[in-house]
Amino acid sequence: MNNKILIFLFYFIIQTPSLLFSQTDDNTEQKLLTKKALEFKKEINFVKSQSFYLKKDWDSTLIYSMKQLSVSKNKELNDYAHFFRGSSFLQKKLYKEARKELLQVSNKFALHLQSTILLGTISLELREFEKAKNYYNTALSLPEISNQIRSLSKTYEGLGITYFFLEKYDKAEDYLIKNETIKEKEKNDRELLSAYNSLANLYYVQYKDNQAIPYFRKAYLLSKNVNDLGKKIMAAENMSAVEENAKNYKKALEYRKEADKWTDSLNNQNKIWAVADYEKKFAVTQKQKEIKVLQVENKLKNTQRNFLFFSAIGLLLLLTGGVYLYAQKVKNSKIILHQKNKLDELNATKDQLFSIVSHDLRSSVNALKTSNSKLSATLESKNYDQLNQLIAQNSIIANGAYSLLDNLLHWALLQTKQLYFHKESIHLYSIIQQIEFNYKPFLLDKSITFENSVSKNIFLFVDLDSFKIVFRNLLDNAIKFSKQNGTITFSTNEIDSDFCEIIMEDTGIGMNQNTINELLQEGELLTKKSDSEIIGTGLGLQLCKQMIKKNNGTFKIESELNKGTKIIVTFPKMKQNG
Amino acid sequence: MDNINVLIIEDTPDQSDALIKVLLDNNYNIAGVARNFTDALKLFYEAAVDIIIIDVFLDGKPDGITFAESINIIPNASKPFVFLTSSNDRQIFERAKLTKPFSFLMKPFNELEILYAIEMAVEKFYEQTNVFLSEEQNTVISNDSLFIKKKNSLKKVALEDILYIEVEERYCNIITEKEKFVILISLTKISELLDKSKFIKTHRNTIVNSAKIEEIFPADNLIILKGNHRINLSDTYKDFIKNMNILS
Repeated sequence: MNNKILIFLFYFIIQTPSLLFSQTDDNTEQKLLTKKALEFKKEINFVKSQSFYLKKDWDSTLIYSMKQLSVSKNKELNDYAHFFRGSSFLQKKLYKEARKELLQVSNKFALHLQSTILLGTISLELREFEKAKNYYNTALSLPEISNQIRSLSKTYEGLGITYFFLEKYDKAEDYLIKNETIKEKEKNDRELLSAYNSLANLYYVQYKDNQAIPYFRKAYLLSKNVNDLGKKIMAAENMSAVEENAKNYKKALEYRKEADKWTDSLNNQNKIWAVADYEKKFAVTQKQKEIKVLQVENKLKNTQRNFLFFSAIGLLLLLTGGVYLYAQKVKNSKIILHQKNKLDELNATKDQLFSIVSHDLRSSVNALKTSNSKLSATLESKNYDQLNQLIAQNSIIANGAYSLLDNLLHWALLQTKQLYFHKESIHLYSIIQQIEFNYKPFLLDKSITFENSVSKNIFLFVDLDSFKIVFRNLLDNAIKFSKQNGTITFSTNEIDSDFCEIIMEDTGIGMNQNTINELLQEGELLTKKSDSEIIGTGLGLQLCKQMIKKNNGTFKIESELNKGTKIIVTFPKMKQNG
Repeated sequence: MDNINVLIIEDTPDQSDALIKVLLDNNYNIAGVARNFTDALKLFYEAAVDIIIIDVFLDGKPDGITFAESINIIPNASKPFVFLTSSNDRQIFERAKLTKPFSFLMKPFNELEILYAIEMAVEKFYEQTNVFLSEEQNTVISNDSLFIKKKNSLKKVALEDILYIEVEERYCNIITEKEKFVILISLTKISELLDKSKFIKTHRNTIVNSAKIEEIFPADNLIILKGNHRINLSDTYKDFIKNMNILS
């Protein structure tokens, strides 16, 4: 007997879910939901959740109903959402969550009956039989149940099973038979099979074998038409147990074998399911791999883009740098070009100076040569009067050449900064006398009167040698540009305690303002002279200007054509301390 | 009054001859002509020399400067000197400049220039500049002589030959045993420059060489010098007698 009960319980538990889960596909429910979806077209979440609910996609239903709840305040829609969630949780076997959701559904809800039945089912699953009984009874008391046959049969079945567990077999038998009659009318093989099975188990538990066996047999026969392997196994095994109790072992074995056959095919199916599952997983990993590859590709693209970006910036920098350097180079080359031009100019001037100097020297030496041959000729003819004159002429030529060379030397020394320069106290009058001494023959030659009316008490603070160069050149010029019987006068004018003007006046040919300006121009080495007969390098005057500047002096020219020239040079005086 | 003795150090005979001619024309004595450094030193110590004219380059070497450097080292032996040079090469000048007092003359030079250079050398050497060319003074006083400018030339009078000096405004009468002449120098200058232990002021305008005093008559306010020169002794200046070593 013990054996019997065990078998029964085993099958009953297996059986219950299928019994309960098949109840959702109610026509009235479906119609209602489709209608509501049309009504609330704009509530995307509601529409989605109801469509997923009808498709039995429980997870998606849960998600969208949750969204619906968090967004909407519509009470009716919220009732639907709670209902969807309760059903979904029930299907996922999360009974407590399911109950929590369904309890939030209000009494006025259109599917109130369905939710009550579901609550009963949940209580049954949780083995809270008294609660289940209450729910089912509430469902029975609801007026709309009379219109909904399926709900009614469900309620009967639930009540039957509840009473069965409460061991009130009479009531259980009553309800289960009611359920069976309804099911038989509906011709739903699966559900009818469950109903038969329930009744069979009921009788079997009460040892009413005679009543139980026909139901088992009916269930077995029905199971042949049903595609559900689990039900086939259950029916076959029940038959086997029945035959075994009837000591009809041969038949029992046959049923057992049939059950095993179905179990095997169920396993096969399970295997297929597993394979499919595995394939699915494989596909998922494949997809994931693809995603990964895509990610890597994306990363690669990103790095490529970054690389391009940075290389573009680098190139831009390089370009600007290049442009900058090029500009610098252009600037530098401009400066260099400028310097080169200046140097070329200077070099040209130097070359010109060189050619003029050599030309001058050449003519001087040539004049000496011819003069010398004349001299020897005169010596032979013993014409002593002319001899003297020739010698004087020679000395004039030699002197000219010498002063040219002297200027050249000093110029070179000055340019190379090799000139020794030492300022000291000099006695102006004596120095003028000394300078004049060298020019005595020339003065005499042109019968020029030389007057030195310089104050004898003037001491200047200058470099003696450069001072002499200045006045030698000035005197030389004055004599050169003086006419016969002219006068050259040196005089002084003490401006203040620090400076003294030295004025050299001649009664020569003079010059115009242009010539003066040219002479005074800074850095102009060669001055073209209007008087082509007396050509000079301009070196002498240039030297004068530089020497005067070096001695902290100033230089001025006043001149009138054909009347004479006045040259005014200012030099610092010796400080009066001794 | 004696002529000035000039020592010439010059290796080129042409140039030394020209120099000698100028100097002789202007009443200078030639103490000698040296052609090289050794001769120069020998002549310098043997002959009486007042002024030296030194060519910087002797046989192409700057021995002239070496000579100046060597006489400069010996105290009280050095004499005024003038460098002759044909180039104003800076390097040579930088070295020559160190032999103070430094004066130089660029070749070629004319008569006036050489005379001027000699005068400058004397002035610089005895540190009494701007004397010979000014109109207020014509005498430089050294430790043993007076250098007096006379016309274009310089003359020399040994201090020990002087008997006494009489000052008349800007002039001084110098009386020696043999002669008597006038120089241009102020009393203050001359009394500053003369050795006060040797030359004594006996009167407002009289300075006497103490070595030449033969007799002193304080009562008569009279000093008798060598050669029987009678000099007035003013009361204000009698004090010097106390400082004299009185024999007897």
